[in-house]
Amino acid sequence: MATGTDPDLTFEDVDWDAEQEHPLIDRSPVFLAQVVINAVIFGALIWDYFILNNESPTIEGLHYPAIGGDSLIGLGFWELRRPVLQFTTNGIEMTTTFSVWDVTSVEWLLMVVLAFGFFNVVVPLYQNQRMTAYYWRQFKKNKAAVASLVFLIVTFVIGFVGPVFLPPPELSLTEQYLPPMGVTAQPPGYAEPISGTLAHPLGTDHQGQDMLKLVIFGMRVSMQVGLLSMSIAVGIGTLVGTTAAHAGGIVDEVLMRYVDIQSTFPVFLLLLLLIYLYGGSLILIIALYGFFGWEGIARQVRSEALQKNEEAYIQASEAAGASQWWIVRRHIIPNTSSTIITAATLAIPAFILGEATLSFLGFADPEIYSWGQVIAGGRGDLRGAPWISTVPGFFLFFMVLAFNYLGDALRDSIDPRQEQE
Amino acid sequence: MSADAPLLEVRNLKKHYPIQRGIFGGEVGRIRAVDGVSFSVERGETLGLVGESGCGKSTAATTMLRLEEPTDGDVLFDGVDITEYDDRELKRFRRRAQMIFQDPTSSFDPRMSIGESVAEPLRIHGMSDGNRRRAIVKDLLERVGMSGDDIDRYPHEFSGGQKQRIALARALSVNPDLIVADEPASALDVSIQADILQLISDLQEEFGLGVVFISHDLGVIRDIADNVAVMYLGEIVETGPTEQVFDSPQHPYTRALIDSIPSPNPRERGMAVELTGDVPSPANPPSGCRFHTRCPEVIQPEGYDFEQSAWRSVMNFRTKVTTRQIDLDGIREFVIAETDVTDPEDVTHDQMVDAIRSDFDIPDTLSDPEAESVLSDALERVVRDEFDEASASLAEAFETVCATDSPDMVRTEAGHSASCHLHDQSVEVEPGERIAQSDD
Amino acid sequence: MSDDPLLDVRDLKTQFHTDDGTVRAVDGISFDVDRGETVCIVGESGSGKSVTSESITRIIPIPPGEIADGEVIFDGQDLTEMSTDQLRKIRGNRIAHVFQNPQGALNPVYTVGKQIIEAIRIHKDVSKQEAREQTIDLLDRVGIPEAGKRIDDYPYEFSGGMKQRVVIAMALSCQPDLLIADEPTTALDVTIQAQILRLLGDLQDEFGMSIIFVTHDLGVVAEIADRVVVMYAGKVMERGDVYRIFENPAHPYTKALLRCRPGQGSQREAIRGSLPSMIDPPDGCRFAPRCPHAVEDCRDGDQPPMMEAEHPGHEVSCIFYQDGFDSTQLDSGPEGLSASEARTDGGESR
Ligand SMILES: Nc1ncnc2c1ncn2[C@@H]1O[C@H](COP(=O)(O)OP(=O)(O)OP(=O)(O)O)[C@@H](O)[C@H]1O
Ligand code: SF4
Ligand code: SF4
Ligand SMILES: [Mg+2]
Repeated sequence: MATGTDPDLTFEDVDWDAEQEHPLIDRSPVFLAQVVINAVIFGALIWDYFILNNESPTIEGLHYPAIGGDSLIGLGFWELRRPVLQFTTNGIEMTTTFSVWDVTSVEWLLMVVLAFGFFNVVVPLYQNQRMTAYYWRQFKKNKAAVASLVFLIVTFVIGFVGPVFLPPPELSLTEQYLPPMGVTAQPPGYAEPISGTLAHPLGTDHQGQDMLKLVIFGMRVSMQVGLLSMSIAVGIGTLVGTTAAHAGGIVDEVLMRYVDIQSTFPVFLLLLLLIYLYGGSLILIIALYGFFGWEGIARQVRSEALQKNEEAYIQASEAAGASQWWIVRRHIIPNTSSTIITAATLAIPAFILGEATLSFLGFADPEIYSWGQVIAGGRGDLRGAPWISTVPGFFLFFMVLAFNYLGDALRDSIDPRQEQE
Repeated sequence: MSADAPLLEVRNLKKHYPIQRGIFGGEVGRIRAVDGVSFSVERGETLGLVGESGCGKSTAATTMLRLEEPTDGDVLFDGVDITEYDDRELKRFRRRAQMIFQDPTSSFDPRMSIGESVAEPLRIHGMSDGNRRRAIVKDLLERVGMSGDDIDRYPHEFSGGQKQRIALARALSVNPDLIVADEPASALDVSIQADILQLISDLQEEFGLGVVFISHDLGVIRDIADNVAVMYLGEIVETGPTEQVFDSPQHPYTRALIDSIPSPNPRERGMAVELTGDVPSPANPPSGCRFHTRCPEVIQPEGYDFEQSAWRSVMNFRTKVTTRQIDLDGIREFVIAETDVTDPEDVTHDQMVDAIRSDFDIPDTLSDPEAESVLSDALERVVRDEFDEASASLAEAFETVCATDSPDMVRTEAGHSASCHLHDQSVEVEPGERIAQSDD
Repeated sequence: MSDDPLLDVRDLKTQFHTDDGTVRAVDGISFDVDRGETVCIVGESGSGKSVTSESITRIIPIPPGEIADGEVIFDGQDLTEMSTDQLRKIRGNRIAHVFQNPQGALNPVYTVGKQIIEAIRIHKDVSKQEAREQTIDLLDRVGIPEAGKRIDDYPYEFSGGMKQRVVIAMALSCQPDLLIADEPTTALDVTIQAQILRLLGDLQDEFGMSIIFVTHDLGVVAEIADRVVVMYAGKVMERGDVYRIFENPAHPYTKALLRCRPGQGSQREAIRGSLPSMIDPPDGCRFAPRCPHAVEDCRDGDQPPMMEAEHPGHEVSCIFYQDGFDSTQLDSGPEGLSASEARTDGGESR
């Protein structure tokens, strides 16, 4: 290959016989950065799994890692967290739940997903600023969606950062049933009405845990469930849908018939069975929702991709000699992205609600601060201490609503049909 | 590779699409989209492929580039048969033969900047250095009359004509030898069509490209093509140098096509020969000459003396009888709608016969008494629902070579080739019949 | 019958309010249509032909559309003053539309017969049976063979040309006084186009209706028009008798349009540049940015007023026909900008 770049290079000068010897590698800095970051994340996993944590590398071990055998990332926060742990821990199980930064658990997946989102959503948006500006102009028209976006970003940041720096909610037998700030009530066990204070702005629950902290820790759980299940489901759905559409014929037939079969599968029963066998855990719920929640997405993506498949630019690419994989990756997936992103945004609240429901019913990991569990905990005190159920319920409601608004607005603003105009 | 071989030679190319029914996809028929076409294109030459919609032009284009697998036939590129190519060789061929599409809007990925789109073929064929790609694309954009600064803009920011220029740049990017352009100017406004056509012929001259130019618009073909091939129902019916074909068209279909172009002279209105009916389905093309169901010059049977227009009408009737496409209840209802009769029982056979005659524009009596008696007999049978008998007697009495034998492509007196029995020496044709009858 | 024209459009302005600004799609145009006459509106894509034809019966989407000004006098009544309910009685009854795409005009889930019968019964008080008989008669008249059988077929069972015939039959069902056909043959093959054009001519003779025919194809105009309205960027450039337009085109735009028809070989010439923005149209003559004859005065003020060009009834909006200018200069080769200047395909699109 000719080295150096000649600015006067023209198409007639190219020696295609030499050129065609080169394999197709994309050497953009973004791609390299992506490779490096993913390597680090995978490296952390391997480090954690084989070197630090080789005493308990079982499935259970993923969720009940020994305190000392923590991960690389976890180590970074170790000092910060330690006093907190010492202060609150009264059993080994409690402790393990707090070591949230353990690479081998849900956290590892979350890192992968966030890195993927960064490189495939944030970076392209930054690179194509004019396109981004266009989307933003379209998106801005929908005021409710903008409010939703702000709400979700705030929730996300608090939910992501809060549990790292905040001490987890503490049990306190002296501060049970405190009402939220500015509210005066007579909760169970109190002789006379009391008022909430700034010490616990949203009050406390029946065990004296601070509601604000519960909500913040719950945000994190909801975010994890929503993002991770969605990523798994959307990933599989997109792959299956676009492949089926573009390959057509027997591949399409087999894939879509499988989708039909899976969509009749009683996931809930499977879930109960697994919880019975392995105990309720967050990763189990996430995986189950992810691996059994993609059929609808696959169908939507397929039908959208079928339409795109008819477009002349697909044919143009084919005529230029592109392979099937090239076409799926460079043309079909980007052009079905409005469907994919909308499906993703609408899948998140469904999964969040699903997890909350399971927790409410008591099928989830009892060690995590899921909103569903908190709501369930306040069930008995609806009359005396309604805030225990309603505060997390309120957040749950708004989160789901915000995602729905966002999904609708995204569908409208990134619809390429409008871009043609 | 041989130096004398034409750049592209297509021999007896066929593309049939199976019609499938049932779960196991049993083939119940086939659509003969392209049914044996042959032509060749030299370097630096433009071949115009023209025909009505649905006659198989685009299928011919995609099949000759093996974007779809041909059912039969050979495509020789530089003398080498590309239908035998494996994936690797095919990819190399794809670099040398590029395609341009009708709709400039949908042929660009709306999510790619035009720079990325134009560079895509470069990338596919292994140029991994982004800076080199950019240099080439900028140069190309300038050569097709755009600005190098347009490289980062998106397709929706350009007009149709501009997009078609960019599409040309994309096709040129990998320095091809052949360009197949499928209706590249049809989606553009007439006011800018001429520009794109000019650009195509300039580029062709500059780089010695072979061009296959597909269009339904005879005017455009006349402006750009060196040679033309006229397609009808999957076959080429006439081919030759453009000037010759337009100045002395030898096939009745070509004549009709040229005649249907509205003339820009308001004093010449209504002069066109009208082609009756629609293009038949390629799933079930007519026997003999495929054009015989619409041909205004369809050859008369021996021993009769028709007005040509009456003969055409009788042929239309005969076709419908053979395919049992005459609906007696419908005609009865039609008679009720047109006359005072109200009860279907009261509709007489004569009324039915008259209705059929007027439906097919057949005169009340044919000028040839013998023909008239065959026809009225057949009409009577049809009204009595004896289609098979009617069909048999019509076919026997009014046998025409056009419906029985498919004509060969022959060299005509004008010098170029056409496939029509009028040029068949073995068929006796009276001189007067060759002239198209305009019935007003 | 009175001497008044059947339709008199005066200074019509139609606008669309969009995010980017107000699109002045039709910006003060006037023309009339006599009884039994065919008027062609011709111009390139986006010049406002369709909006004009759709503004007559107000079938443009409102909002974002709006008839901002002007009068549409149909048989003595101003349609712009009418309520939608009153208009509905006229649409499909006295004024019928035929569109470019016959596919869109027919509902795929009903037989064509049912659709035409309904169209008849909306406006006329006839029994189903009578309407059915009329429908068969209509289908026969628009040249659909075996009308009695085809009446019970679904739209997909018809070819494109046959569908357009069905749509025309539907438009004719109430014997309209005015038929507005917006590019009814553009989607069809030339051979089928020839059939439809002849059909329209025959039907006009038979029913005596007036036709407004919108097209960009001058060949079609030559084939059917009595009078021609040449539109550009929302304005009328020239109007007149079809013979005058083709034999003595007065306006530089009309001349350019005639020169860019395909089939003229090397004589064919594109109009360089592209349609100006309809949100912020240029000052002076709208055609000035592309006009080979444009002079300084062309770029000032408003579109030049319609002036008579040699013959009565032949009017043109070009500064060269005003006093103090010499219109014969337009016949000499283009002056001013050289033809190769600037990018031929126009600068900014939208
Ligand atoms: N609903 C609408 N909203 C906004 N702008 C519109 C709308 N309908 C038409 N326009 C604009 O009005 C102008 C005239 O459009 P119109 O459809 O009348 O053109 P035309 O001459 O019929 O073109 P064509 O030959 O392509 O049919 C264009 O700039 C178009 O973008
Ligand atoms: S062979 Fe017969 S039917 Fe065919 S084109 Fe010639 S005259 Fe017409
Ligand atoms: S007014 Fe000027 S710009 Fe407009 S058409 Fe006449 S000469 Fe051309
Ligand atoms: Mg229009």
